[in-house]
Amino acid sequence: MSKAKTQQPAVIHKVIMVGSGGVGKSALTLQFMYDEFVEDYEPTKADSYRKKVILDGEEVQIDILDTAGQEDYAAIRDNYFRCGEGFLCVFSITEQESFQATADFREQILRVKNDENIPFLLVGNKMDLDAKRQVSSEEASRRAAEWKVNYVETSAKTRANVDKVFFDLQREIRSRKMEASRQNNGKQRKNKDRSKKKCVIL
Amino acid sequence: MIGSVGAPLVTGISPKEGPPGTRITVRGENLGIDARDLIGLKICGVDCLLSAEWKSSSKIIARTGPGKGKGDVIITTRSGGKGSSSIGFRGYFLQIGPLQESAVWIDESQTVPANLAHGRPSSPMSPKEDEDPLGLSDEGDGVKFTEEELLEIFPEASGNLSLENFSPVWYLLENHCSASFDDLKAGLGYLQRKASQRSQGPIAIVKSNLSTILECLDSLAAMYEKFTKDDLRIDCMNSYAVLLMQAKSCADGLFQEVLGRKDKADSTRNALSVLQKFRFLFYMPYNIERNIQRGDFNIVINDYEKVKSLFAETEVGVFKKVYEEVENKIRTFCNMLHKKLLDPKIGLDEQKKLIRYLISLEYEGDPAWECLDNQLQNIISALNVCKDYHIAVGKCIFFYTCFHTSETLNNIIYIEGWKFKTPQKVLFIEDLTDIMMEKFPDFWKLGQAYFSGDFSIKESSGYKPDSSKHAKLRVSYIFTMIKELVGLYTAFVRAAILPESLEDVGDIQLEKLGVWPSRRQDISGAWLPHCVRHIRTSTSTLQDLDVHGEALNLVQELAFDLRTHCMFTLLKQAIIDVKLLHNKETWAIEYGDEYGGSTQLPVLFENIVNETISHLHEVVVLNKPGEPEIFSQRPIQKEATILCTQLLQAFALCMEQLSFSPPLHKIDSAHSISIHSKILFVQDKRLVIMLSNCAHTMEKTVPRIIENLNKHGYVEMNKALKVTQQTYMELDQKLFQAYIEQKTDPIIGTMEPNMYKSGFNWKTWKHITGVRSYLKEVIISIIEVHAEVFSISPAFITRVMMKVMEAVCEEISRIIQCVTAFGTIGAIQAKLELKALESIVVLYETKKIRGCFKEAYDCLPALSGEGKQMVDKLLSEFQSDMKIQLMCFQSDDNSSVA
Repeated sequence: MSKAKTQQPAVIHKVIMVGSGGVGKSALTLQFMYDEFVEDYEPTKADSYRKKVILDGEEVQIDILDTAGQEDYAAIRDNYFRCGEGFLCVFSITEQESFQATADFREQILRVKNDENIPFLLVGNKMDLDAKRQVSSEEASRRAAEWKVNYVETSAKTRANVDKVFFDLQREIRSRKMEASRQNNGKQRKNKDRSKKKCVIL
Repeated sequence: MIGSVGAPLVTGISPKEGPPGTRITVRGENLGIDARDLIGLKICGVDCLLSAEWKSSSKIIARTGPGKGKGDVIITTRSGGKGSSSIGFRGYFLQIGPLQESAVWIDESQTVPANLAHGRPSSPMSPKEDEDPLGLSDEGDGVKFTEEELLEIFPEASGNLSLENFSPVWYLLENHCSASFDDLKAGLGYLQRKASQRSQGPIAIVKSNLSTILECLDSLAAMYEKFTKDDLRIDCMNSYAVLLMQAKSCADGLFQEVLGRKDKADSTRNALSVLQKFRFLFYMPYNIERNIQRGDFNIVINDYEKVKSLFAETEVGVFKKVYEEVENKIRTFCNMLHKKLLDPKIGLDEQKKLIRYLISLEYEGDPAWECLDNQLQNIISALNVCKDYHIAVGKCIFFYTCFHTSETLNNIIYIEGWKFKTPQKVLFIEDLTDIMMEKFPDFWKLGQAYFSGDFSIKESSGYKPDSSKHAKLRVSYIFTMIKELVGLYTAFVRAAILPESLEDVGDIQLEKLGVWPSRRQDISGAWLPHCVRHIRTSTSTLQDLDVHGEALNLVQELAFDLRTHCMFTLLKQAIIDVKLLHNKETWAIEYGDEYGGSTQLPVLFENIVNETISHLHEVVVLNKPGEPEIFSQRPIQKEATILCTQLLQAFALCMEQLSFSPPLHKIDSAHSISIHSKILFVQDKRLVIMLSNCAHTMEKTVPRIIENLNKHGYVEMNKALKVTQQTYMELDQKLFQAYIEQKTDPIIGTMEPNMYKSGFNWKTWKHITGVRSYLKEVIISIIEVHAEVFSISPAFITRVMMKVMEAVCEEISRIIQCVTAFGTIGAIQAKLELKALESIVVLYETKKIRGCFKEAYDCLPALSGEGKQMVDKLLSEFQSDMKIQLMCFQSDDNSSVA
């Protein structure tokens, strides 16, 4: 619908922000989208962003779904996850619990997507608050290695590595899509259709 | 239309979906350069511009409208035109299902199968689409069971959630036949979460919508009643009835719970208030302490009353103990208040307050009474202290004075001026009055408040039966107290100023009132009006306070006595002053326009009198309201008149003294001697001067003074005037007589010897040459007198001349008559001399003179024509010779030349 109306590049990479409440998903998103850092905390329900970016010389659109970290909204996550093509799983290096929760998110994503190789990035945010660090970089890297994903530390406040995580993820998504179109696998095809349909209906 | 900047582009919304009215943050590019630039905002095709709040060119906050489904967010700006959106907002309406609580009555036909009431086949409902109780989305693919298949498997069941024969298996088969076990497990978790959320729902909804639910219940009951009445379908009705009853009991149950909770809340509240009550008691001792420290006595008393009413008759041990402690505190509080009450320094209002406190605390006894009594003692002791102090100081001065007996008291006072400028007694009066005026009003007001019943003790304390009698007794006692106090005050004053008025008081009593070191009058008159003023102030204060009866009378009497005393003292003082005036005579003559010369003295006299009068003006003439006229009492009036008369007469004495026995030369200043010594001791001159003064005083000064006195209200002044004038007349006569004697005696005495000098004989006299020298000498003497009188007071000339002439004429007549015989020439000579004298006298001729001349002429033998011619000739010769000398005996128009 939106594609028809706006003459935007056809390629859209759908990124979903996941992670516990208050780790900085919206802050990362807003920093990436608008170069602004929002100090005051306001829990997100579900925000949607889309913008044109140049990915390795190619003009594409990135669609970011910023989800709610709070457990209250856990039920509606499934629906959102279904249409995601790549996930930024964010935790706060100053909060051990948020790191632990990443495992649950990973599990839920894999359950919904039913795909071990779904583009996924483990993001340790708030690296500017090194003094309050609770999660060591080694510990996080270990887990990332376990999941066979990359681990990146960011700071939404200083914009460190913000662009990197979004572009890295897009690249993964793009390579996944290219692989998929090459294989022209029916299952993949079907999956894509299904998820697209759900998005429209909901 | 499109400005320099690009078209608005919405790139982010937060949140991305929601029901109408969701607050949405829209982010993007070129969203307008300011708030006015933003001219359009459409969300899902609905204009939301009104709610839009422009934050920056990349951020707008707005509320969504009733748009449904997914739609773009389109922003239009003046600068960038109509924009586009890369993302969309999904609007949806919240559908109220049968399992969701709602506070409003909803149209259930949309959600609830309507086949129950009417038996019609229900339209296929699609709650499934909205309702996904497991939170699993429909797996669109895979095998689907049809309804028929399911009916076969479960003949009695239904897949409809809202039906009683709902079968979960049917539902799962129908909706989630292809879901994995894990999915189902997650779904179960979701369902449990939902259920736990819902279990709290009903209570909350009932709580917040009690009235709506009651309404529901009522309408259900009404429906039931109507159905029963109609009795259309009994069997159906019964099932309805059962359902209704169930609904009712269910509602009742819910309601019961609410009621129960309310009861619980009530009982909690009760318990809390009980606790509050007790806490109040337990905090009481501390609160009392604190409030006493703060001075909030009213709060203490109120608290105590409250505690008393709550716990006075408590049986609970703990309360008793605390209550006792409170009582103890209150007792010490009472004692403190009582002590404070007896403090002499506190003011009336404070006292009243304290008394009220004590009464309301039911302090034993009668605090008001005690306070009154205490204050009385205070004032009395203050008065006593004041008296003692001043007497002591007075004694000091007195002894000092005695020690320096050679000096007069006035000098001492003058020398010691730094300390004793004001007489001690006057200071005493001042202080005493001050004390009285400061303290008495409060005392009186307190007393008034007391007997007007302001401080009546509470009925409960058992005073009631004899209260009226008791009160009367007290009131009379208060009056006695006041009388005593005022009496003491007046007695003190009297002892100081009017000791003679206390003569009927016993010696011991007198001792108490203070024995002043000297009984003699040592307050100069000048200070008395001051004292009177003080006493009068106190009188008027008492009057203002509405004090009646004996107390006021006492002070009024005192004031009156003092006024009288003051008047008498001042008048006496004036008399003394006037008598002492002779010291001030300088003999400098001043010439008035009419009566001729007078000295300074009458003016001084008048000044003294006028000063005294003006001094007394305030005391005597001005009557404060309620004061008796000072002259209304006959004896006082008489004495005042006598004193006034004496005052007026005193000057006569003064002048007499000056005339006849002048004071020894006491004028100390050197210059006055040189000027006045020449005339000072010549008695004739003094006589003339005094005569002039006397006349001046009589004619001018005295009437003026009398007028002044009249003006100031002194009575019977005409009498005084008469008496005074009499005195002055007498003085005048006396002076005149003395003067005439003084002058005529030498003239007359020398006449006869001179006449018969060198053997003159009327019979044998031959050589007539003209008027003889003896007569000329007489004339010269007379001229001297004339000159003397004229130089001092021309007005007296006629009077003096007449007398002198008379005397001379008489003498000459006597001498002529004594002559036994006249010779011819002697007769001519006699005639000539008589004629000469007659011509002189003509201006001052009296009957007596004429008679003298007649007798003298009769004695002379008749003259011949020749003799007459000779007399005329010689007379004219004499007149021309003595022309200049005689001028002073001629009529006014040229007399002044002499």
